Amino acid sequence: MSDIGKIRIRVPSNVKAGDVVRVRCLVIHPMEIIQRDAQGKIIDRNYNYITRVTATYLGKPVVTFDLTQSVSENPAFSFALKATAPGPVKVSFVDTHGGKYEGTADIAFA
Amino acid sequence: MPEPITRRSALGRLGAVGVAVAAGTLGAGAPAGAQGPSPAFGLQESVQDGLKRVFGGRPMRDGTALIKLDIPPIAENGAVVPVSVEVNAPMTPASYVKSIWIVADKNRIPIIARATLTPEAGQAFVGANVRLGETTDVRAIVEQSDGTLLVAKREVKVTVGGCGG
Repeated sequence: MSDIGKIRIRVPSNVKAGDVVRVRCLVIHPMEIIQRDAQGKIIDRNYNYITRVTATYLGKPVVTFDLTQSVSENPAFSFALKATAPGPVKVSFVDTHGGKYEGTADIAFA
Repeated sequence: MPEPITRRSALGRLGAVGVAVAAGTLGAGAPAGAQGPSPAFGLQESVQDGLKRVFGGRPMRDGTALIKLDIPPIAENGAVVPVSVEVNAPMTPASYVKSIWIVADKNRIPIIARATLTPEAGQAFVGANVRLGETTDVRAIVEQSDGTLLVAKREVKVTVGGCGG
């Protein structure tokens, strides 16, 4: 899984000041689910899944997701933000294996 | 010189062990040493237990009129089900939607995700792809900044479950 942690963020291209825009992001991540052995017992190990996603815009937090293993593989998220000024949207992820991934996209006014 | 074992110190130590054990069970979904989520997450439990643990006995109002829970009525593949929640409520510093929870009643881990919002968002909208183990009710629970809880519910038919184990 060399692609693990790859992030794609999509922001609308045609934004005017004051618009509420929707941002979509996707991260390549296995989001391992709990496995059971033949007896149905849970195999105890450190499953690798994303626990927290934080999105900031102009340095201010917009939304924080706390996740569990009930979230899909290669999770995709969307959220809204109010575009007040051109600037970066930064999304960062933390998983249970200590991995930290970060991606940014710029909001530019048309 | 080692401290003599008195009844008080022994009890204190037992207490510490008890706390450690309790912390261990809370983190069952997130093994120790991991960059753990808040302890309210990743537990395998029934939805009633989960809601009780997270929200206590706080009353929930029916928020069907305000909450738009967008989820396909039939999910062919339970491994990826897109859910989005939009709340028709103001997002100003005085009154805003503080958090949105997504709950699938019959998942082994029913409390799927929590999104914590700030007024910067401008609109209470979140979306995520979730797994659904079987045909189940999916709830969106919205907590507003004044502590009001609103809930909306939809049933999703799942053809192939996506939770595995």
